Amino acid sequence: MFAAENGLKGDPRLKAISDAITVVPHFPKPGIMFQDITTLVSNHKVFKHTVEIFVDRYRDMDISVVAGVEARGFMFAPSIALGIGAKFIPLRKPGKLPGEVISEAYELEYGKDRLEMHVGAVKPGERALVIDDLVATGGTLSAAIRLLERNGAEVVECACVIGLPELKERRLLNGKPLYVLVEPREL
Amino acid sequence: MNALSQPSPLKIKEAKIASSRRSSVFTKSCFFTPNTAAAPSRSDLLIYSRFTAGASATAPERRRMSGAAMATSNVDGTDDRISRIASTIRVIPDFPKPGILFQDITTLLLDPKAFKDTIDLFVERYKDKNINVIAGIEARGFIFGPPIALAIGAKFVPMRKPKKLPGEVISEEYSLEYGTDVMEMHVGAVQPGENAVIVDDLVATGGTLNAAIRLLGRLGVTVVECACVIELKELKGREKLGDNPLFVLVSET
Repeated sequence: MFAAENGLKGDPRLKAISDAITVVPHFPKPGIMFQDITTLVSNHKVFKHTVEIFVDRYRDMDISVVAGVEARGFMFAPSIALGIGAKFIPLRKPGKLPGEVISEAYELEYGKDRLEMHVGAVKPGERALVIDDLVATGGTLSAAIRLLERNGAEVVECACVIGLPELKERRLLNGKPLYVLVEPREL
Repeated sequence: MNALSQPSPLKIKEAKIASSRRSSVFTKSCFFTPNTAAAPSRSDLLIYSRFTAGASATAPERRRMSGAAMATSNVDGTDDRISRIASTIRVIPDFPKPGILFQDITTLLLDPKAFKDTIDLFVERYKDKNINVIAGIEARGFIFGPPIALAIGAKFVPMRKPKKLPGEVISEEYSLEYGTDVMEMHVGAVQPGENAVIVDDLVATGGTLNAAIRLLGRLGVTVVECACVIELKELKGREKLGDNPLFVLVSET
């Protein structure tokens, strides 16, 4: 669900967050309007507001695990974890995590990719969030949810800064709630 | 710009611990003092050194510190925090290749207090020092950099692998053990005259940090210091950085 329809209607922070995102047309391929969050993380005040909104939402939900998707999810998830006193777990591309991992495949527009997570990073029954910068089809987040569940965690919600408007029709992703701050910025 | 000043000497304290399998020597070197008018100089280390007697027989294994190792002097609880941080780092032998002892910080991130202490130690060092930019190196620098940037009021600037950043970038090629790699940053992310600290989880040969220093320098930014959780002393990254200061929390020999 979008933040504006879920308690933050008219919150000026949401407009500031949207304004801080840069749209780059035809990147990485023609037809794609890339939502660049680097201008958000380089704006200290807006970056702080972004993290605060998530921390305020999740602080009292008894969450002990915040999982971030490589690599842009790493820019947001650790600060949220620190803000709510939870552990941070990186979900990574194949071959990056040392030691024992489990792996989950997911679909790209053309082809497949895989996401990995350390075995034993969570204890069964721990309550978890998944964080990424943007959700489009939900393929990556779905793989993340499956990894956490295979390790015995309960995924409470997935949260992203940006979400495509099609998702307004779907409050749930694989049966899990989805929380999004803003829609994609237009040129 | 406020310089990170020349530290004044303090007494060095040592705790020597011998155990059946490995011996460790812990030293604490000087702290820096409040700012003076001194010119920027090579900043001193706040390090917690350990000698490792080789890979353990059972791997992966969490490090254990004996009780006596914790009983060093306690300036603002710093040594307690560093010993906890060091104890959470997991060493994985033969990753990513045979012969390499990989320093895995994911176990540090699973300990909320150790992770918070890590960030606090960097924040205590860099807040109120007129640092405008925290540059984090993809990907593990993205884990430590943003919390530091948020706490000290700086912007976070990602230094990325090729073709990840959209828009106008500059690139710098650097050497790997076999071959080369390329690092990129956004042209518009920084302004000439800004002061930056570069953050990564670990410094080995120093090649990656040097590439980041060159990129920021090309855009007129002053790199005040490089900051890493772990230093692999044997690989002499500190020498490779030359006059560029390096600050680490844990030094592995």
